[in-house]
Amino acid sequence: MEIERRMLKATWGYDGNLEPLYEVEDKEDEILVTFDLPRVRKENVEINTTEDTVEVIAKMSDAVCWERWGGIQKKITFQAFRKQIRLPEKIEPEKAAASFKNGILRITLPKIRRKVFIPIE
Amino acid sequence: MEMEEVVRIVEEEGVVHKNPIVIAGLPDVGLVGTIAASYIVDKMGYKEIGYVESDLFPPVMVIHEGKLKCPFGIYGNGSVIVLLSEVVVPPNAIYPLTRALTAWIKEIGAKLVIPITGLPVENRVDISKPEVFAVGNSEAAVKELREKQMELLEEGFIAGTYAIMLRECRKRDLNAISLLAQCFPVYPDPGAAASAIESLEMFLKLGIDVGELLEKGEEIKLKARDLMRQINLSAPEMQKGVEQDMPIMYR
Repeated sequence: MEIERRMLKATWGYDGNLEPLYEVEDKEDEILVTFDLPRVRKENVEINTTEDTVEVIAKMSDAVCWERWGGIQKKITFQAFRKQIRLPEKIEPEKAAASFKNGILRITLPKIRRKVFIPIE
Repeated sequence: MEMEEVVRIVEEEGVVHKNPIVIAGLPDVGLVGTIAASYIVDKMGYKEIGYVESDLFPPVMVIHEGKLKCPFGIYGNGSVIVLLSEVVVPPNAIYPLTRALTAWIKEIGAKLVIPITGLPVENRVDISKPEVFAVGNSEAAVKELREKQMELLEEGFIAGTYAIMLRECRKRDLNAISLLAQCFPVYPDPGAAASAIESLEMFLKLGIDVGELLEKGEEIKLKARDLMRQINLSAPEMQKGVEQDMPIMYR
């Protein structure tokens, strides 16, 4: 159902935002989310997290203008990438870390885990 | 239904083939083949000499400069043929497509088939110049790769259109060499495409400068987002995950 919905949804909006390509990976104790952000500089990336979401707003260094494309969107300009992702598990927002290299944003989100030691009888 | 009816290769009239080398750039991981093939077509000024259509393909046509086109085009100049698709090949079309393509490639007397694709690597972001590996489909092809000191993919699985293309070529006694450039697993990778084009020079002296491809990398990535997303959605069905697996017969 999720796949069908995503296939039907356009990856751009009339608000001037593009949806970036992203990947969510479950890495046991943490969730790793990466975003592909071409034309973006590190200082123009804003990340907001809650316990179960991560949102990225990334302003492009130059706006993209696509012309002669489609009907309604004959000329459209995009200034930023914007995406909010619902995470598969709750995380600790205060312990999140991020890095940005070669246009790839990497956000590490530690899961909320209460570890209990189980002794073997 | 006859196989030929499922996939139809339509050529422009009057095309003369001179034992061409066929480059295949179909959408796959990192869009390496598609980006490389489209850059080659652009830089070499190859004309569209045909197209591929199939009832198994999505009901999609593409419009470029006001002209209606099939999204799976055949470009070239007689001695080089480039197969270039702007839409994802559905998994159920792979077998009939590769059979029809290789039958046609054999018929036009091609001397070598080179499918270009990507080899996904986790640490791609830390690699400044992606390496290119090769897979040959015959002893002759592997010998040629060793002579050219290409890095061979020695063990592992390969999956997707190019894997079946290599097999179908072998069945028809066609030499095929696939070039696999290290790439991002789920993002378009112009840098990997540039490496693949540079390796292609070992087989085909086109003299293409990849500078512009690297310079315009970010712009290409922006345009390639939608096709990349389609590829990512179809990857599980294509069994792409198996490429990370260890074969049981590993030596």
